[in-house]
Amino acid sequence: MTDDRSEIIRGTLDLMVLKTLDAMGPLHGYGIARRIEQISEDALQINQGTIYASLVRLTQKRWISAAWGTSENNRKARFYTITKSGRTQLHADARNWARVSTVVGRVLGLADRG
Amino acid sequence: MLEAIKTVASRIQAWVSSDDADREFAQELQGHLEMLTAENVRRGMSPETAARSARIRLGGVAQLQEVNRDLRGLPAIQMFLQDARFALRMLRRNPGFTAVAVLTLALGIGANTAIFSVVYAVLLKPLPYGQADQLFNVFQAKPQEGIGGTGWSYLNFSELRAHNKIFSDMAGSQKHQLTLTGRGEPSVVNTSVVTPELFSLLGQKPLAGRTFVAEDGKRGAAPVVVLSEDLWRGYFNADPGVIGSSIDLDKRAFTIVGIMPASFRFPFLTKTEQLWIPLFQDPLFGSFVDQRKGHWLQVTGRLKPGVTLARARAELGAIGARLASDYPAENAGWQIQMVPLQDMIVGELKSPLFVLLGAVGLVLLIACANIANLLLTRATSRAREIAVRTSLGAGRSRIVRQLLSEAAVLGLLGGLAGIAFAYWGVHVLTSLLPATVPQVNAIRVDYWVLGFALVLSLAAGCAFGLAPALFSAGGGLVANLREGGGRATESRGRQRARSFLAAGEIALAMVLLVSAGLVLRSFAKLLSVSPGFDVQHVVKADISLPRFQYSTPQQWTRFADELMARLHAQPGLSNSAVAVPRPIADGNINLAFDIVGSPPPSAGTSRTASYVSISPEYFRVLEIPLVGGRVFDEHDIASTGRVAVISRAMARLYFPNQDPIGKRLAFGFPPDGMVEREIVGVVGDVRDVALGKEPGPMMYVPFAQAPFWGANVVVRSTLGTDAIAATIRRQVQALDKDLPVTDVATMPDILEASLSQPKFRTFLLGLFAAMALLLAATGIFGVISYSVSCRTNEIGIRLALGASRGAILRMVLRETLVLTGFGLVLGVPSALAAARLVGHMLFDVSAHDPATLTAVAVGLAAVAVLAGYVPARRAMRVDPIVALRYE
Repeated sequence: MTDDRSEIIRGTLDLMVLKTLDAMGPLHGYGIARRIEQISEDALQINQGTIYASLVRLTQKRWISAAWGTSENNRKARFYTITKSGRTQLHADARNWARVSTVVGRVLGLADRG
Repeated sequence: MLEAIKTVASRIQAWVSSDDADREFAQELQGHLEMLTAENVRRGMSPETAARSARIRLGGVAQLQEVNRDLRGLPAIQMFLQDARFALRMLRRNPGFTAVAVLTLALGIGANTAIFSVVYAVLLKPLPYGQADQLFNVFQAKPQEGIGGTGWSYLNFSELRAHNKIFSDMAGSQKHQLTLTGRGEPSVVNTSVVTPELFSLLGQKPLAGRTFVAEDGKRGAAPVVVLSEDLWRGYFNADPGVIGSSIDLDKRAFTIVGIMPASFRFPFLTKTEQLWIPLFQDPLFGSFVDQRKGHWLQVTGRLKPGVTLARARAELGAIGARLASDYPAENAGWQIQMVPLQDMIVGELKSPLFVLLGAVGLVLLIACANIANLLLTRATSRAREIAVRTSLGAGRSRIVRQLLSEAAVLGLLGGLAGIAFAYWGVHVLTSLLPATVPQVNAIRVDYWVLGFALVLSLAAGCAFGLAPALFSAGGGLVANLREGGGRATESRGRQRARSFLAAGEIALAMVLLVSAGLVLRSFAKLLSVSPGFDVQHVVKADISLPRFQYSTPQQWTRFADELMARLHAQPGLSNSAVAVPRPIADGNINLAFDIVGSPPPSAGTSRTASYVSISPEYFRVLEIPLVGGRVFDEHDIASTGRVAVISRAMARLYFPNQDPIGKRLAFGFPPDGMVEREIVGVVGDVRDVALGKEPGPMMYVPFAQAPFWGANVVVRSTLGTDAIAATIRRQVQALDKDLPVTDVATMPDILEASLSQPKFRTFLLGLFAAMALLLAATGIFGVISYSVSCRTNEIGIRLALGASRGAILRMVLRETLVLTGFGLVLGVPSALAAARLVGHMLFDVSAHDPATLTAVAVGLAAVAVLAGYVPARRAMRVDPIVALRYE
């Protein structure tokens, strides 16, 4: 179903979605996708549909919750909100991510220096 | 872990409301697309470009839906349900096939489930005692003399209990009958004579009052009694004030202290109406407690937690050795053994029940082979459908899974019908089961049994689904697509598989038929065997004398004499006698004896014979023939010389080539010690233990010289049983109004009851064998019919080319015979191997009985040929013109 590349993205995408919801408050899927693209200065051109797999996974883990509401231009849309356990998870994951990325960066840097 | 649970919970929730979720997700994606399009338009795209670009950015909606569904739902279950729905549709489309398959399976699974419910309740379910797996019976045994597990003397038991470190608790028990008077009709009750620890040992609380305490077990304690709930309800009308009141047992007053609930039975195989008294208070066994001699107390112990069997056996060995060295006169040569209580109770039922379970398992196997064959046939005609699905992209595993799902659905349907059938089967089985089977009341279709049925139906589904599934999914795609119309020719492998299945069915049916045939033959022999006496018109009745009132042997003799005199005076009852014990009805008393003037038997052996005490008319009443010498007469009384009559088998065994008459035997039975007796006569042999057991040596003594505390009567009379019972009752009550007459029964009934176990298993094995035969015949019929219909074309060509119709008939029959022959070749060695398993049930028939084997083989071949003949006739009548146009 998924290849190796999206395996890597899956974890990071979930983390980015959580962070976005933490920072922005309730958002619908489109809003989340736009926000991630903006923040990453469009460096991360994701297939916006993949956001929904991430949203299902996060909802199943009860880290976010969903409710129908009305979007800024009066469309019916599903709004996602980060939950308390989602926030706890986000902090843990973010710490973990920072550590891992530092280590990875350091290792890659070493390799560069040869 | 918690997360995984949450995820699954949410998935189940989503799965339940799957359609809603799909619609909502579609809405959500639609909203997303609209917003993305609007954004694109804002950026200056034309509406069409904006919409297309939005769709590209979002990704394919259908794929997203699919991924979403996968994530949300329970894919495996969903797929199975989808397959199952499809399977149900397919099954509905073939009602004939479905009905046959489900019915076959229902019979197989139902019969298996019903038998399993018996096996489970009788063999597997723990006994209704607290932690019953720790309970063991402890025996004394003298293996070198062939003496198996016997009981203990009270003194030996006390020693064992005091000195062992392996049992946390031990109790002794014995049972017999006492006469209950003092309230209403006098009655004989089953009495368990126990040491007071019994109730705590078994972990049982009373329904009311108390059980025994240590004080009750002491010498000189006040006599107390505990009632069973059934006795309390039946005899005492559930009188709540019964505790503390007094009843008479054998004319001595006992105070009722407690009532045990109906769920409690000990010993396990007695009637539910019983009572318990302390050992010291019993009129019979209470008088034995000071003797070290004797083996009458059954001992049960609870093994301490953590004590291994090896350690327990080692310690029992040491205690046995110490008993033997401390008290050599009584204990030399005796060992101590232990057996789990459950094994004790169900021991002899184990192998017949497992044989039945095996037999019914074979029936199911044949049923599965039959259904597999049907499925193979169908798979052939569905080859095109499967080829189409394969070419549309269904993987091999997907197709196998779908076919397996169909089989599983079929299995489950069969299982459901089977469970309904099992409910009925259990009902019938329990009414057929011999009354001596323990836990009969516990036999029911409970969760365990239902679980068994479920597992069985799934396993059966896999069994008959696997072969067709694998064969169907196998190659030949192009060929199958190309082959015209509905009728694809059978692939070689599939044809071979079908033939193999049919031959296998014959082999399995042969196994069952041979076993059933042997058991049936053995049962027929058992029915026709002569017990050595004439049972027609013989009725027995029991009169037991209360021993506190009738305490001396002289009283016992006087009572029997007076009763006989009275009965002989009654019209139609002149042919009456007293005998203890009576053959088959009472079991036997095996007694060691010496032959006066001949050297003692060599070490490790002993002379024993069955001992019977009779009134002089006994041989005449039962028509046991006199072979030599004389029978007893009215002059053989306590004051005259002691005499004995022996059986022919005893004469042959112990007096070979001699005339035993005039020889002297020495043996003792309470109340007598060792007494010498002169042999005055030899009579015919009697099967006293069981009809299936060769007559052993027997010695008879006159009742007047060896009386019992009871008059067990046999009467030969053409009067009705009720009339005889009424007359005996009247005469007994004329002698003593407090004496009950119990257990009135006709000897033919007793003989029949003694055969209830072999009858039960013979009936069931026969039934299963008949089912197997029917199924195997259906299997052959199916294979040959199908083969004929596949070959219609070929047969048409042969006929057109001039083959005679007889030749066609022979051709098809030959195919049948080859199949059958193959099955028989497989079947004979399997049947011989399986026959060994029923060998121990056989009476007077060898497990390799050639007659049975031949009869079964010939019969089976005949049935198979008959099953093949029907389609062969059809083949013969094929019209070549029609057949050639058939394509």
